[in-house]
Amino acid sequence: MNFATSLMLIGAELGLCLVALVLLLLSAWLPRAAARVLTIAAASALAGASIYTLALLLNGTAGPDANAFGALLRLDAFSAVAKLLIYLSTFACLVVTPSFFERRGQYRGEYPVLLLFNAVGMSLLVSATDLMTLYIGLELSSLSSYILASFARSDMRSAEAGLKYFILGGLASGILLYGMSLVYGFAGSTNFDAIRTALAGELGTGALFGIVLVFAGLAFKISAVPFHMWTPDVYDGAPTPVTTFFAGAPKIAAVAILTRLSFSAFGEQFAAWQQIVAFVALASIVVGALGAIGQENLKRVLAYSSINNVGFLLIGLATGTAAGVSAMLIYLAIYAVMTLGSFVALLMLHDADGVPMETFGSIAGLAQRKPALAWALLVLMFSLAGIPPLFGFYAKLVVFQAAVDAGLIALATVGIAASVIGAFYYIKFVKVMFFDARPSSDARAEVARNPAGHWSVLAASTVLLSPLGFLLTPAMERWAAAAASALFLTA
Amino acid sequence: MIQLFAFYMFATIVILAAVMVILARNPVHSVLWLILAFFNAAGLMVLVGAEFVAVLLVIVYVGAVAVLFLFVVMMLDIDVASMRAGFVRNAPLGFAVALVLLAEMVLGFGAYRAGGLALGTPAAPSQALPGLSNIQNVGALLYTRYVFLFEMAGLILLVAMIGAIVLTHRDRRGSAARQDIARQIGRKPVDATVMTRPKVGEGVEL
Amino acid sequence: MTEFFVSLGMAYGAAWFLATVLGILLIALPLMLAVAMVIYVDRKVWAAVALRRGPNVVGPFGLLQSFADGLKVFLQETIVPSAANRGLFLIAPIITFTVALLGWAVVPFGPEAVLADINVGLLYILAVSSLGVYGVVIAGWASNSKYPFFSALRAAAQMISYEVSIGFIIVCVILWAGTFNMNGIIAAQQGHGLGVINAFVVNPLLFPLFVMFLISALAETARAPFDLTEAESELVAGYQTEYSSMSFALFWLGEYANVLLMCALLAILFFGGWLPPVDWAPLYLVPGWIWLFAKIFFFFFVFSLIKATVPRFRYDQLMRLGWKVFLPLSLFFIVINSGWLMATGHFGAGS
Repeated sequence: MNFATSLMLIGAELGLCLVALVLLLLSAWLPRAAARVLTIAAASALAGASIYTLALLLNGTAGPDANAFGALLRLDAFSAVAKLLIYLSTFACLVVTPSFFERRGQYRGEYPVLLLFNAVGMSLLVSATDLMTLYIGLELSSLSSYILASFARSDMRSAEAGLKYFILGGLASGILLYGMSLVYGFAGSTNFDAIRTALAGELGTGALFGIVLVFAGLAFKISAVPFHMWTPDVYDGAPTPVTTFFAGAPKIAAVAILTRLSFSAFGEQFAAWQQIVAFVALASIVVGALGAIGQENLKRVLAYSSINNVGFLLIGLATGTAAGVSAMLIYLAIYAVMTLGSFVALLMLHDADGVPMETFGSIAGLAQRKPALAWALLVLMFSLAGIPPLFGFYAKLVVFQAAVDAGLIALATVGIAASVIGAFYYIKFVKVMFFDARPSSDARAEVARNPAGHWSVLAASTVLLSPLGFLLTPAMERWAAAAASALFLTA
Repeated sequence: MIQLFAFYMFATIVILAAVMVILARNPVHSVLWLILAFFNAAGLMVLVGAEFVAVLLVIVYVGAVAVLFLFVVMMLDIDVASMRAGFVRNAPLGFAVALVLLAEMVLGFGAYRAGGLALGTPAAPSQALPGLSNIQNVGALLYTRYVFLFEMAGLILLVAMIGAIVLTHRDRRGSAARQDIARQIGRKPVDATVMTRPKVGEGVEL
Repeated sequence: MTEFFVSLGMAYGAAWFLATVLGILLIALPLMLAVAMVIYVDRKVWAAVALRRGPNVVGPFGLLQSFADGLKVFLQETIVPSAANRGLFLIAPIITFTVALLGWAVVPFGPEAVLADINVGLLYILAVSSLGVYGVVIAGWASNSKYPFFSALRAAAQMISYEVSIGFIIVCVILWAGTFNMNGIIAAQQGHGLGVINAFVVNPLLFPLFVMFLISALAETARAPFDLTEAESELVAGYQTEYSSMSFALFWLGEYANVLLMCALLAILFFGGWLPPVDWAPLYLVPGWIWLFAKIFFFFFVFSLIKATVPRFRYDQLMRLGWKVFLPLSLFFIVINSGWLMATGHFGAGS
């Protein structure tokens, strides 16, 4: 093992760690007002990490042999692409965060620090090629997530969300760890490639138990049905900028590691886990689509929407082909943009006192008050629903195509049917905003002005999701294919 | 012979104590049974020759974690009777869980009878370094092969610490309990006392 | 000792068993005697500082006072409060006492004279001393009375706080000694100071740690000025409030055995244990255990003097000292010590 090479390969994480530690010290000594400066520093560190990762990806250093620290982690095209997605969505979250907390006087320098540590954990997670790295990365990311969820500690709902997330997350970690110990017991190694070799051939009951438990643990992290119960409560209770983050980066990381684990460690056992993944995908799609219908709270609706989207992502995984994985990555990227955009729009819906407008009732007639915001939301919602000229349609298209190519026609059919059901509540957004009468004589229901940072993130995601996004498809397809094939090269 | 005896003793007590953790009605008793279980698990570790892990188990779990558990549980004012009041309501759920566990056990025994489990063998490089004690072996691995994970585990602990402080720390500047030692020591009698010579019957103007 | 019994014609297993039992008795009985005498010394020192006479009635110079006290409590009735948790109430003093004795198993009284010469000796002591808190906590809770309960809460927080810095101080000593074995640590101190003095304490990098260890040891054994757990002006008698008779005596015996153990630890870690103070051949003619006893006794004298002269800390001051002074300082010294040792090639090249 060449130590210098290893350090070079984890340069992005290393840099983020160092910046986070320095910022932590600074936040302890500087006055609270400096938190905004620290946020800018953290955001630039994330930008730097993305550039570094991109450079490694482009100059070919990130390859199937780029093992760091004796195969504890690997920087191949797959992890590089996932890392880029994670860094960029974390960056966007940092941009929209400060003003929300500053309005409530709750912003502190620890927020960007925790977010940076979270990003480090997630990028370890996606590049893990060893169960131990996986667990360490997962815990680093989860633990900082629990804290972020209850960051508005004087708010009862935020504290409740943090506690709920912590307890259920701890349970999921326990299940995952139990599964990992079973897998280790039967495979004799924690390395993905070694597990793959050891588990080749017929699968014993014990090892199957292990695999199922590992999948269950990770399914919790991506909030797939039947481990989704925490999602609406946590998304609803956590401060909106934190929810914006939760719906993006951690989900990308968990889906990515689930994919890597499925193909590199359990690749020989495709038959064993395909049914599980297909069932979970189906259940997530259906529950996500049906669960949102009765909801009045917008954050809860979007929480169910994210459960629904995880189902579509898992269809890509269930195909078990390189094309499926590449379709899944494309979906993942577009999903990240859609969810980011819609939560940022939600974040911008607040009155002059900073009281958020979180229900359908409060956004009635938004088109007359704030046409720009309403039109951006329209694009986002239609895109989430997968209505054709928008980019969200393309995401669904590639996934269904991959499913049909792999012969999972039933799965694709149910998925399409469910996305029609799901379209109901996305269109409800549009109907309420454009056609419902604005609540009369409610002076407080005036949407306040928002900082430029919010507008730029919202504008960027709207433009990406508009039909202009199709210009990106060749590049996306190339990268997704490269990343997917990296996963199958190791196999 | 003595190992066998010790093993059965430790193992039996671990299991019994673990059962009692669940059965004990009083949560404080549960924690105490848990401590007993930890302690005997440490004994099992000694039997497999991992004395370092054993001592660590006692120091960390028994000496620190369980003390904090006890600390918290002692302060809970739990009315045992009201806790049992929900028993009838929750009984169906309990039976369902029990049924699942029963099914798993039947499955497990069935799988066991169907043949030996194909347990893996550890990969060659993690063989112990000959002639070195337990601690040196652990150290040699921890600071070479797994140094990266070791450092990252440190980061996890740091995050936990930040979390505890962020979620609970209150600025107490200005409260009476806050003590500034340097100021306290640096204070001189002339700063704090006044010498007066009041005349008889006049008192002091302060 | 096992060899001796084997040479008498016993089977190895039986000889080992007999030797171990004898070893335990050889440590525990003199220890109990020492505790009795040390309580007498404590009271005498305290009295001398306060210009009193101290115990002087029972036996010559009052030497038998502790035994008289022991007899008295032995004959008293054990009273269990009706609202107490009976089982735990009675177990608590036994735990304190047993745990206090357990630590002595790895204390070396001479090059060969150690009951269990294990690799992780120092860690074992750390583990056992961290168990000591259970006796106090259980006693406080099981008494079902508010002052003992406060005392239990204080004890739990206090002992955990100071264990942390004790652990870090021990790490520094380990770095210099290169082993966790108690005899190994003592052997590493031979001629440590300029080739003449057998003690780590003369090392300028370790001396501040010795001071911190001394203070932490006071806090860990809840001795004055850190005796918040039995602060009579606030908590009556703390966790011992409801105890009487032998159960009360067991607490006392355990407490003083713990104090002696901490003194022994100070002697072993920083003052060369059973080695004579100076590396000079004629001094080695004196048996090792006499040197160790002399050092233990010296530290006990220091403990007594501190108890007699230093006012009690407030609880928040105690916590502040532990977490905000000792913890950063001991971490800082780990960095300094390990850095120095790395720079001077103490660990050998390319190990």
